[in-house]
Amino acid sequence: MTEIAAREHASTRLSRGGVHAEVTVIVTVVERPEPLDELYREYAAVLESCGRSYEFIFVAHPFFREMLEPLLALARDGAPVRTIESPRSIGETALLRMGLAESRGSIVVTVPAYRQVQPSAIRELLAAVDGGVDLAVARRWPRVDARVNRLQHLALHLTAGRLANGTLHDVACGVRAARRDVLQDIPLYGDFARFLPLLAIYNGYNVVEVASEQHASDLASRVYRPGVYVRRLIDILGLYFLLRFTEKPLRFFGLIGAVLAGVGGVALLVMFVQRLLGQPLGDRPLLLLAVLLATLGVQAIALGLVGEMIVHFNASRRRSYRLREPRTPGSESARSS
Amino acid sequence: MPPLALPELSVVVPLYNEEESVGPLVDAVREALAGQPAWELVLVDDGSRDSTAQVAGALAAADPRVVLLQLARNYGQTQAMQAGFDRANGRIVVSMDGDLQNDPRDIPLVVAKLEEGFDLVAGYRMRRQDKIVTRKIPSWVANRMIIWLTGVRIRDNGCSLKAYRRDLLDQLHLYSDMHRFLPALAAATANARIAEVPVRHHARRFGVSKYGLTRVAKLLADLLTIKMIASFRESPLAMFGLGALLSGLIATGFLSAWLWSFVDRGASADPSPMNAYVFPGSALLCIALAVFLTMLGLIAEEALQKVRAEEQLERFGAREVHA
Repeated sequence: MTEIAAREHASTRLSRGGVHAEVTVIVTVVERPEPLDELYREYAAVLESCGRSYEFIFVAHPFFREMLEPLLALARDGAPVRTIESPRSIGETALLRMGLAESRGSIVVTVPAYRQVQPSAIRELLAAVDGGVDLAVARRWPRVDARVNRLQHLALHLTAGRLANGTLHDVACGVRAARRDVLQDIPLYGDFARFLPLLAIYNGYNVVEVASEQHASDLASRVYRPGVYVRRLIDILGLYFLLRFTEKPLRFFGLIGAVLAGVGGVALLVMFVQRLLGQPLGDRPLLLLAVLLATLGVQAIALGLVGEMIVHFNASRRRSYRLREPRTPGSESARSS
Repeated sequence: MPPLALPELSVVVPLYNEEESVGPLVDAVREALAGQPAWELVLVDDGSRDSTAQVAGALAAADPRVVLLQLARNYGQTQAMQAGFDRANGRIVVSMDGDLQNDPRDIPLVVAKLEEGFDLVAGYRMRRQDKIVTRKIPSWVANRMIIWLTGVRIRDNGCSLKAYRRDLLDQLHLYSDMHRFLPALAAATANARIAEVPVRHHARRFGVSKYGLTRVAKLLADLLTIKMIASFRESPLAMFGLGALLSGLIATGFLSAWLWSFVDRGASADPSPMNAYVFPGSALLCIALAVFLTMLGLIAEEALQKVRAEEQLERFGAREVHA
């Protein structure tokens, strides 16, 4: 709801160039942006050399409003560039969805506002999508950047990457290409845009990694504020729950609860037996710990049961499976015209 | 009224890596249903990694009565069955395993039983041909527990060969691993009339079994869920209220023990200072749990208020049309 409102308030500038674009490039400007007009020229040159018609949509966080200025000049000169400035401070996911709603190409390429791979990578990504892949993601490989970065990459890979069962190796790379209907079908909310490939796999889409040369400006070591890491950790936990337990919350909470209540219960049982054998119960602090564990366990299980209840009553309105549709090459172009 | 072209009977078969079984299966179904009026066979490929989809696709192309649905990835048997149910056109729907352990010749049997006036007919496997330790014993325990917890007397919940009325399936929405508890779910949520018939069971001819002992923990969680849905689906607050009451009782017990320790102290030689906090502390924890559970029940009512109201409206409407 709020997003639609945001879109209406957003300053959208149309240019003549992009009306019949095959490829829409969406650039979300939300962190450490580099000069956007240069970015545009580099990617446009690649698309030009591929012989594709294209349009660019730059969706910017209000903090980076000034960064859009050179693009407005480009658009005035007839370049197929549109800019959307979010009126509020919103995250990458919402920006991406605003861009998606405005996109017209049957293939959408998403690019962060900073360079991660050589722009030529999108040539291979587009080829993969043409070849029937639902979502093609660039993988920075071989990695040649600072050791700190690679360490963080490893940490991300061992947590979020694990959720893809070993099929993804660079979840953090934001250079991706997909059919537009695929992107529109994947439910995106919260901070999950950065884990788009994982959500695509979860929704049964065919995701392929394309090894791409790392860009020189991606090599410098990056260390973020501690808060960023905390947020990322929470995101990954949320993602883990979403991908593994959405339909069965009790298996998650129940396991935690069973362990807690189990330990507490055994302790209670032992103390109860000892009480029967004559040892008084009232002066044993262990009783407090056992009761605490048992109550915590019951709380976790009760939360899981509420989750199950919600899942049960919403089962009719949730899509629990997706059918593979035979690809008909003509249908998508017909819809976009 | 469905148009006459639609089949009377739909057979739904989830398939996962059954490239060898699917051919004989389709032949067997065709043979078994030769005498039946219009029927269709809905094969659901659950993201198989082998050539199941290709084999089934060829069979579907050769016979208009055979339909192939392909799930986008491997979702699991429940989702595959739901996909088949969603696609099935028949007034009667029969589900069965794709591994040839069920015998298609039993389909007319379960259908005939259904026509006697039941909403769901479950087959139970006679002389089950499976490993005892890893399959039969866990299955027996699970079935006993399901009967005990839900009161729905089904001997063999694990047998996939079942027949349903379309109206019943329209009221059920399977998710997670709920296909195993379908009869209990149907009885609890749709007041289904349920019957059982004995069916044949064959040893596995091809492929490997897709279950294992690791299911037990999951099964326990699912059982708890089924129990909750069966008993408290109309009143979540009552369930948490009961929990809170129980917790409050335990708190009272601890408080009584505490008070008793004052009485008892006269006899005891050295009263321990810990007596002053262990029992009251335990009681407070239990009181906190009672408060937590009550609030959780209220939140559950709040979260479910809208969907439950809509659901009741739907049901009420459906019943009116039925009358």
